[in-house]
Amino acid sequence: MNRAHGAEQNDSDWSLLARVVERDESALAALYDRYSGLVYAESLRILRDSGAAEEILQDLFHQVWRTAEKFDPARGSLPGWLLVAARNRSISRLRRRGYRDSEELNENSVVLPCGLETTVARNQLLGRVKAVLSGLADGQREAIELAYFEGMTHSEIAEHLGAPLGTIKTRIRSALETLKQALA
Amino acid sequence: MTNGHPIREDEFELFALGVIAGEECASIQAHIDACPECARKLAEARGRVALLSLAAPQQNPPAALKQRLLETIRAEKSLRAVPVRGTRPAPRWWNTIWAPAALALAIATVFLWISDRRLDRQLHQMRQATQTYQAQTQRDRELVQILTARDTMTVSLSPMPQVPKAWASLKYNPRMGLVCYTGDLPAPPPNKVYQMWIVPASGAAVSAGVFMPAAFNQGRVCVAKVPRNISCKAFAVTLEPAGGMPQPTGAKVLAGAL
Repeated sequence: MNRAHGAEQNDSDWSLLARVVERDESALAALYDRYSGLVYAESLRILRDSGAAEEILQDLFHQVWRTAEKFDPARGSLPGWLLVAARNRSISRLRRRGYRDSEELNENSVVLPCGLETTVARNQLLGRVKAVLSGLADGQREAIELAYFEGMTHSEIAEHLGAPLGTIKTRIRSALETLKQALA
Repeated sequence: MTNGHPIREDEFELFALGVIAGEECASIQAHIDACPECARKLAEARGRVALLSLAAPQQNPPAALKQRLLETIRAEKSLRAVPVRGTRPAPRWWNTIWAPAALALAIATVFLWISDRRLDRQLHQMRQATQTYQAQTQRDRELVQILTARDTMTVSLSPMPQVPKAWASLKYNPRMGLVCYTGDLPAPPPNKVYQMWIVPASGAAVSAGVFMPAAFNQGRVCVAKVPRNISCKAFAVTLEPAGGMPQPTGAKVLAGAL
């Protein structure tokens, strides 16, 4: 059952997913319109290669189409899974590691602290996260960005920055605590 | 360590971020695989960490990409086999000219390589579809076994005043699990889910899993395993935070005694 495009903007993710299970293309298109920008920006930031970022984006939404029936909205949110899967795949490609292609929609549950279904919600959250990160000390922000966007471990960051391991652990822990407090 | 769990509260975020490596990482993963409570905390930590992606400069993908995606799924829907195009025979006069022939060979090689990749992808998709069907078949088999077993009991769950039209019919088998069919349950508020509870004759309620009502109120079947050695007295459905809770905390919406 296809519906007018405007009506889908107000649908919840899970009702759109239910329609994707019924092979409704317009529902997949609505989910794509809602989240493709976030996923693409994340992969592009990690890979700095628009072709590779486009391929990851297309693969992820293709997987949503193929295996939507496996996604259990009760265990986590679709945008959360999309962001985590896009990061995993981008970092695997960046570091030439293999990712598990069998990464299913119902694995690795991700519960976002807030909804992202409306443009207003996404924009508000974007502002909050940017404010938190810009409020971090330079060393903390640098360490957390190396971890998130380059996929480095504590030891790798310490080596990369030439800083003591303990210092790096403290910076990352403090940055994550600040983020957690801001999103509580 | 907290309450017997070997993972500190701040380690969930560190694990989700991927900065922990080696044995420490494996040890955390092993515990999470076996502990639903820590798995839920990790799911929440993953959600918070995933929001770091918003620090990336926002940029939309090219508009043509959406069209390509939709064309791909339309092609799959129509179940048309991809026609294998043969290479056109080279004009006779080309046979005498080595360089153009080599060029044609190179083009054909590239074409075949692309076709090969496409076929590989199709094969991979078909394998995934087969796995999906096998999992669905297994689930259906379990459903039939529960519904047809002689020792299966039927329980009707009654709605609470806040959901007067909701209903649920539950088939409970102490050996195999339970099947619940719900209907007319309203969509839960954002970041909330419904959670099914088994109320034992003694002791605390045991979770039988979380679920969402299906779209359009046509009902939804959920199948859950029941822990062994539990003497069941009643069943209930409550409204809980996304991911579920180890013990009921929210409003009861459906309940029924065995």
